[in-house]
Amino acid sequence: METKFAVKIDDLTVAYDYKPVLWDIDLAIPEGVLMAIVGPNGAGKSTLIKAILGIIKPIAGSVSIYDQPYEKQRKLVAYVPQKGTVDWDFPTTALDVVMMGTYGDLGWIKRPGQKEKKASLEALEKVGMLSFKNRQISQLSGGQQQRVFLARALVQNASIYFMDEPFQGVDASTEIAIINILKELRKAGKTLIVVHHDLQTVPEYFDWVTFLNVKKIATGPVKEIFNDDNLTKTYGINYKVAINK
Amino acid sequence: MTSPQIEIQLIAVVVAIACAIPGVFLVLRKMALISDAISHSILPGIVIGFFITQDLNSPFLILLAALTGLLTVVLVEIIQKTGLVKEDTAIGLVFPMLFSVGVIMIAKNANDVHLDVDAVLLGELAFAPFDRLLISGMDLGPKSLWVMGVVLLITVFLLFMFFKELKVSTFDSGLSSALGFSPILMHYGLMSVSSITVVGAFDAVGAILVVALMIAPAATAYLLTNDLKKMLWISIALGVFSAVAGYWFAHFIDASISGSMTTVLGIVFLGVYLFAPQKGLISVLYRQKQQRTEVSLLTFLLHLNNHSEENERHLNHLNEHINWQKVRAKTVVELGVKNNLITIKHDVVSLTEKGNDFTKLALEYIITNKDEKIEHMKEDFFLFRG
Ligand SMILES: Nc1ncnc2c1ncn2[C@@H]1O[C@H](COP(=O)(O)OP(=O)(O)OP(=O)(O)O)[C@@H](O)[C@H]1O
Ligand SMILES: [Mg+2]
Repeated sequence: METKFAVKIDDLTVAYDYKPVLWDIDLAIPEGVLMAIVGPNGAGKSTLIKAILGIIKPIAGSVSIYDQPYEKQRKLVAYVPQKGTVDWDFPTTALDVVMMGTYGDLGWIKRPGQKEKKASLEALEKVGMLSFKNRQISQLSGGQQQRVFLARALVQNASIYFMDEPFQGVDASTEIAIINILKELRKAGKTLIVVHHDLQTVPEYFDWVTFLNVKKIATGPVKEIFNDDNLTKTYGINYKVAINK
Repeated sequence: MTSPQIEIQLIAVVVAIACAIPGVFLVLRKMALISDAISHSILPGIVIGFFITQDLNSPFLILLAALTGLLTVVLVEIIQKTGLVKEDTAIGLVFPMLFSVGVIMIAKNANDVHLDVDAVLLGELAFAPFDRLLISGMDLGPKSLWVMGVVLLITVFLLFMFFKELKVSTFDSGLSSALGFSPILMHYGLMSVSSITVVGAFDAVGAILVVALMIAPAATAYLLTNDLKKMLWISIALGVFSAVAGYWFAHFIDASISGSMTTVLGIVFLGVYLFAPQKGLISVLYRQKQQRTEVSLLTFLLHLNNHSEENERHLNHLNEHINWQKVRAKTVVELGVKNNLITIKHDVVSLTEKGNDFTKLALEYIITNKDEKIEHMKEDFFLFRG
């Protein structure tokens, strides 16, 4: 049987001010994987996601989501940025922010109703934030804000989820709760692409991995390619120090 | 009240509401300055429109001037995109230029144009009832009331239809475009409505009051609520209040109506800035003081928890354990007694049962930073409100 690819990237090169930060990336992400993107700081992980989502224009190459350009497939995709560029002082509550995730399915003009509210409350419950539903978002801690944005992605009802370091600044029990949600989503046939820094947990959390450092170093099943060779190529000879830190 | 008085107030109220609605989104988008820019740079559009139509209230003139408003926005963005200057600088470059083009056009044609810069900037609400809408001899009321009524209807209709789109594109433009609601479209939609409102209102109330009516109610409401819908309602209410109060203020001191309304807007903002329940200056200062007392109380409770010796729990011993410089020990003890956390017998302080529990929970909260357990303590103590 032929594998179906959720995301396909060909010869992608991205530069900020003429300095390439991603160099000639070829990458095909099969449908239904829970994939980690790993690489050192500045490797271009966030940039790769932004280029896939058209937030940054690449200088060369092409990206497709289920064989179509992203512009045509927006609704299939949910994205949790590394650091939200939202207006934190906006007069809105946690619940309200999550509800915004449902707007895409509603389309223009139609307003969210009971169904959307119920889905949003459930998502808040899943990420353990139900008791904060009426908090103004600037009055949440960093990890709590991260969870609210995760909940928002959940209600978006997408097929492909991009998450840029969702475990950053969350405590251990929340991390487990989140990874369980991600695993559930994969079971439901979704594709998840997660930037991840903790190399120790990669084999436990993910089934697919991409090593990235300006160039693509390797991509494939964790079982086959998560090894010393690729880690050294990505992080340099001292990667073990990095793991133990 | 005479009928011109009623008409003036009616016009002012309609203008206030029509301004408050786009104003909320301008303030939230941190674009308050752009309304000022639009209000000035529409001048050449007005002048050209006036050459053609000879009527300040003609819809054609309003459209033309609104287009000049949009031109301002586009020019500002072009200059900003060069990356050489910031947005505020770009605004400062564009609108004086367009405004002065308008001024020169008026000066060059002073004989043909019954239009002066003062009238555009300051307006004169008192004269608004004299310009009537006559259709086949029938008097349908002041023209500006009709113009602004239509503008208001359009604004309310658009707000009603696109509230959620405006909200999400203002809050998170990345998500907005991912969901298929083009932030650029929303941006220009809002700019168009703002331009049309400014142009429609300037003749009646003047450009300065238009800006004040857009920004001040929204900025004031922002201090009063954490809910966008409420912010809209509060802005509208404040705008209406300031319009009516400003009118009567002007009436009694015999001053410019626009000037009085702007003054009332300023006073209302100042009052709210000082006295708003949560974000107001006084309540912020009070909260800080209260938090300091509460932290001291907590340290004191912990001390009581750790020591059973009487001499350690004697009132005179307090000053060593409570930071005297910042908080008076008396305030701390009073707070503890008031909340039933401590009892005092012969000047010796002991924890009550409630005090014991409180100390335990508070400690736990401070260590784990978990909010769930202390929800009930937030009512009485600022300390736990984050
Ligand atoms: N807006 C920008 N302008 C110029 N250079 C940028 C910009 N954003 C990122 N860069 C550079 O591009 C490179 C890749 O950045 P990117 O944010 O993709 O890294 P990352 O792999 O996500 O790192 P991290 O692990 O720290 O999040 C870095 O060298 C960074 O300095
Ligand atoms: Mg990053």
